[in-house]
Amino acid sequence: MERLIEEIPNFFTIWNVIFLAKAMGVTFLLTAIGCIVGFSVGGLLAIFRKTKTILLLPIRIFIVLYTEIFRRIPFLVSLLLFFYVFQIIKISDDLFLIATITVCVIATAYIGEIIRSGIESINQTQWDAAAAMNFTYYQTLKEIIFPQAWKVILPPAFGFFIMFIKDTALASQIGVMELTFAAKVLNNKGFSPLLSFGTILILYFILSFPLDRFGKYMEKKLASNRN
Amino acid sequence: MGYTLVYTQVLEFLPYLIKGAWISLQIAILAFFGGMFFGLILATIRTFGSKISNNLVICYVTFFTNTPQLVQIYFLFFALPEFGILLSPYIAVLLGMTLNAAAYLCEIQRAGFLSIRQNELDAAKTLNFTLLQQVKYVILPHIMKVLFPPLSNHYIIMTLGTSMAAIFGVEELTGRAFNINSETFRSVEIFSITALIYIVITFIATFLLAIIGRYFFKAKIRIIQ
Repeated sequence: MERLIEEIPNFFTIWNVIFLAKAMGVTFLLTAIGCIVGFSVGGLLAIFRKTKTILLLPIRIFIVLYTEIFRRIPFLVSLLLFFYVFQIIKISDDLFLIATITVCVIATAYIGEIIRSGIESINQTQWDAAAAMNFTYYQTLKEIIFPQAWKVILPPAFGFFIMFIKDTALASQIGVMELTFAAKVLNNKGFSPLLSFGTILILYFILSFPLDRFGKYMEKKLASNRN
Repeated sequence: MGYTLVYTQVLEFLPYLIKGAWISLQIAILAFFGGMFFGLILATIRTFGSKISNNLVICYVTFFTNTPQLVQIYFLFFALPEFGILLSPYIAVLLGMTLNAAAYLCEIQRAGFLSIRQNELDAAKTLNFTLLQQVKYVILPHIMKVLFPPLSNHYIIMTLGTSMAAIFGVEELTGRAFNINSETFRSVEIFSITALIYIVITFIATFLLAIIGRYFFKAKIRIIQ
């Protein structure tokens, strides 16, 4: 314990702090890009999934397969799979890019499901009423379904963002310079694992706790609005 | 390009991988029921406990749900030896997963507690049910109907989470995939097969859980969403 206290001033030098802050930025960036892409593409997937024409049937089947497959592969395995596939097709060697693409692919599958269940939470009678008023599919979604559905979509979406902040820790396994990897580097430099891993535990907490609070706050507010 | 996928070399290792999947399942089930047990204790404290113990549980839950499981296990595995507690990789992973699951399952089970209504218990008492009968006929059917879908969902998430054990050298499915990878260097083939096995085992789990949920608890679970 005394050794630990002696180590603290050595650990929190300006270089280490900058190093950790950069790593924190990478973690945040990975999550943010994944969530933005996941939300936009996942939303599209959910919209196409609910179409009814026979013409779009292949697309619907593809969407079902996509979401079912990517929600059942562990993040670690899909990261490694993408990593080795990228090595074969030689598009890019950038580890950050590979990790980002994996995050986006997985996030799309998960958020697509969240948005779809949000759309499905709206009563069938609303669809019927819209059809009776001769709304097109797009108009129904825009004017009737989404204004009600986003209250159901937002709370689990926040839970998902937090989940992805945590899951990006696995990107350290292919060598992306994010928080967990930074802790491993510091640990290998000879700092105590208690200090290096303890610090990043706190940093992860700082990243995800505000989101957690905000999600809970939104959930409460939206729930009271709905009744 | 110039890379051809060759599966024959990897398929020889299929029985080895499937045995690994069995170990993954063991870890997932042990950690799940461990988490259920601790989660139940935490949820009981959270519902009936005093203010101080209540706040302690809230701290535990927010801490464990807001930090990555991987780093928690790293912490257990590398930082505890400083205090003279040396854990084997398997135990460290199991402990980490259990502690993490306890936090999530505490929240889920608390929601179940909140779904019991006092009038139902009163009605049961008026009908002169014993405590055991109350639990069997009134509390459990109600709770399980609410709890079963999120619990089975979390079980699937935990099955996927066991792949983390590979990082610490536990020879479960992903760990064995690492082993074969360093032996044959057929990386894409190996990890695609590993992914396929994960899809199959989670699909079987969803299927069985859906059947159990429908027949025993009347909980509606869809196999394909």
